[in-house]
Amino acid sequence: MTPLKLAERILQLVPVLLGIAVIAFVMMALTPGDPVEIMLGDARSTPEQRDALRHDMGLDRPPLERFFVFLGNALSGDFGLSFFHRRPVMDVILERVPATVELTLAALFIALATAIPLGVLAAVRRNGWLDRAATIGSLLGVSLPGFWFGILLIMLFAVHLQVLPVSGRIGFGQEVPPVTRLLLIDSLIAGRLDSFAAALRHLIMPALTLGLAMGAILMRVTRTAMVEALAQDYIVFAEAKGLSRARILGRHALKNALIPTVTVAAIETGSLLGGNMIVETVFGWPGLGRLVVEAIFARNYPLVQAAVLLYAATYVMLNFAADLLYTALNPRVRL
Amino acid sequence: MTAHRSWIPALALAAFLALAPAGFPADASELRVGYSSDAVTLDPANHRSRVTEGIILNMYDALLARTDDMRVVPELAESWSQINPTTYEFKLRRGVRFHSGDEMTADDVKYTYDRLTKPNAMGGQTSPRQSLVGPLKDTEIVDKYTVRFVLREPWPIFTAYVPFNQIVSKSFTEKVGTPAMATQANGTGPFKLVEWRRGDAVILERFAVYYGGSPDLPPVGPARVDRVIFKIIPETASRVAALLAGEVDIIDELPHHAIKQLQANPRTKVLATNGTRSFFMPLNNTRPPFNDKRVRQAANHAVDRKLVIDRILSGLAVPLDGIISPQSYGFNANLKNYDYSTDKAKRLLAEAGHPNGIDVTLDVDNPFKDQAEALAQMLTRAGIRTKVQIWERTAMADLWKNPQTNGRDMTFQSWGDGALDPVGIFVPVLRTKDRGNYSGYGNPEVDKLLDAANTETDTAKRSAMYQQAQAIVNDEAPLIFLWLPQDVYGASARLKGWQPSPRGVIKLHEAAVD
Repeated sequence: MTPLKLAERILQLVPVLLGIAVIAFVMMALTPGDPVEIMLGDARSTPEQRDALRHDMGLDRPPLERFFVFLGNALSGDFGLSFFHRRPVMDVILERVPATVELTLAALFIALATAIPLGVLAAVRRNGWLDRAATIGSLLGVSLPGFWFGILLIMLFAVHLQVLPVSGRIGFGQEVPPVTRLLLIDSLIAGRLDSFAAALRHLIMPALTLGLAMGAILMRVTRTAMVEALAQDYIVFAEAKGLSRARILGRHALKNALIPTVTVAAIETGSLLGGNMIVETVFGWPGLGRLVVEAIFARNYPLVQAAVLLYAATYVMLNFAADLLYTALNPRVRL
Repeated sequence: MTAHRSWIPALALAAFLALAPAGFPADASELRVGYSSDAVTLDPANHRSRVTEGIILNMYDALLARTDDMRVVPELAESWSQINPTTYEFKLRRGVRFHSGDEMTADDVKYTYDRLTKPNAMGGQTSPRQSLVGPLKDTEIVDKYTVRFVLREPWPIFTAYVPFNQIVSKSFTEKVGTPAMATQANGTGPFKLVEWRRGDAVILERFAVYYGGSPDLPPVGPARVDRVIFKIIPETASRVAALLAGEVDIIDELPHHAIKQLQANPRTKVLATNGTRSFFMPLNNTRPPFNDKRVRQAANHAVDRKLVIDRILSGLAVPLDGIISPQSYGFNANLKNYDYSTDKAKRLLAEAGHPNGIDVTLDVDNPFKDQAEALAQMLTRAGIRTKVQIWERTAMADLWKNPQTNGRDMTFQSWGDGALDPVGIFVPVLRTKDRGNYSGYGNPEVDKLLDAANTETDTAKRSAMYQQAQAIVNDEAPLIFLWLPQDVYGASARLKGWQPSPRGVIKLHEAAVD
């Protein structure tokens, strides 16, 4: 990877973000609904007051002008004020990012830790009982709605066994000084095992809900790729050379089979980094998903536009990271 | 395969930590509320959201407060008087401290009201709560403990709205600035802010030198619990689970299907109070078939309110013959009741020239589709064949802003008003072309009554005007009158001294836990 290639990738971001900005703006502009009316709800208000609010929100200007003002400000990193929070949009968004990142990493960990070993074993013992069980398990994982599964976990672990908390990230008195704002890491940095345990207990159920669903998909992808890899000539050759089974599976088959897994994992991770509305709602997890969905319903244009741009940038960067991983897994792949 | 082994100890550790006793601190003086939404801001002057106000009210007091039977009583004010139709004088309580330790004086009151009233007074923006101070022109400082509010024109409900405007500290607000007021708090209320974890929790602790609150709202004195935590749990099922698990002591918006479960459980209870949000179905008065009064009256006879209340709303609603709460000022208790009668409905339809019935569409937003479908069936049985169309809330509201041109027939609507004065619900919904007038109803006589009542300072006369307007509307039936649901809360058995407020806010000054 030369610096030139890296620069090229970063430059590619520009047209992508510009396109996304246009689409997001046009879609929000075309959606019916008036942010001022939504903000006021049934509350007493006068026409003059509604005009003043509309002016504060910049909605008294024509759409085209609004778009270019938005674009100009966005270039200097200013995404405006959230209509409802009446604070800078980026503050509102960024304070929700750590919770989403922590949950995504935990879910990704659970997904990979279940999917790769199970996928490999299922492929190796194809049509055996483990393969069948894993196939049924993954079918369940893909098809069970997260909402239902999450509530089920809550009923079992929080209400009946009372070993896990229903909602939130950490209890009162367990907070640690923010460094990374990922509570598991910050509690270790602070040397607070009690906080670490508390953060982990809060994280387990939402992470399982997301992680097992993602793991189910990854397992099927890994299994299929592994089955294919195991049928390749180089595996037969490796076996003929007398290499150990573990070495053949790990070094030769798995490494090649992981490329589709990495691709799918990157896409899934990208979507998790956008925040998962359902899991965040069920577990009261203070992530991005709920914030953005609420903003869409409230026609909070500045917040939605900024979030959409952030999502787009995240996807592009994740794809880039996946490409880098390909080259590590298979030197024949060149960027 | 070393890569695989590394996760085994991690998982084992996770399992160990997860299954270790949860050890929720059983602190007797910590009260937790499972709350359906987070505050949008902690700045009392910068929102129009009831849930936000519910949290803020625990940290900020106002000059006046409201009792649960909706009387206005002194809070930060010691007394008040109306000097002339446009001037009110308030005497402040002495020695009241902000959480910062500063004393609250007339300076702070003027600053608070200027911030609400003056354009661009909030860091270049105008307060969205401006209309809650009505035609307030200026706030004058008479002395350190006396202020005068001068109105541009008489506004008889000025004091009814004073409880909605919490007093902020002038020096603190000037120091931190309006943007920081969104996330910091310095009020005179029973609790002070410890931490706001956005989207997760608002943590408050008792303010030790609280002046005690309104003498009319016992118990007077500091809050009874050391700490209050509003835990944000948006999902209803999870909120109920948190209550059952003993994680929280109060939950809001209890779903009807969970009522029996909580009542049967010795560790939980159900609390309810009349809400402030009326439900009704606007009929499009501007086009056939509902431009005919007889058809609208037929529709009112066609629905069995009691059945829907019993079966879908668990009996937790009051049927209405108008649109304002029986607890509201100016409520007319002698309105004609449209009894449920398919025969009467059919007869009225036939009189209006529809012996074979009519076909209409009912627009509804998703959360209310059960109720709408039940109502549609009843209407259909009476010859008003009703098809239900489901919308996203905001898109539907946009469509119904202009009933004159939208070409639609009927919709399902509600309107809320924490002040329980007809001006909050009756005026926006029924005055010609007002904000919430989805039916397109317009009656110059009603408008005249409403406008006169708006500035009438004689309470009895004002009430009579509203009662007359209600009688006219009841007869003309621009809407199908429905019901006023109760607000339902779940609570733990250990919760003491707290009752839900008809204002729809959770103020925890008087609450205690065993």
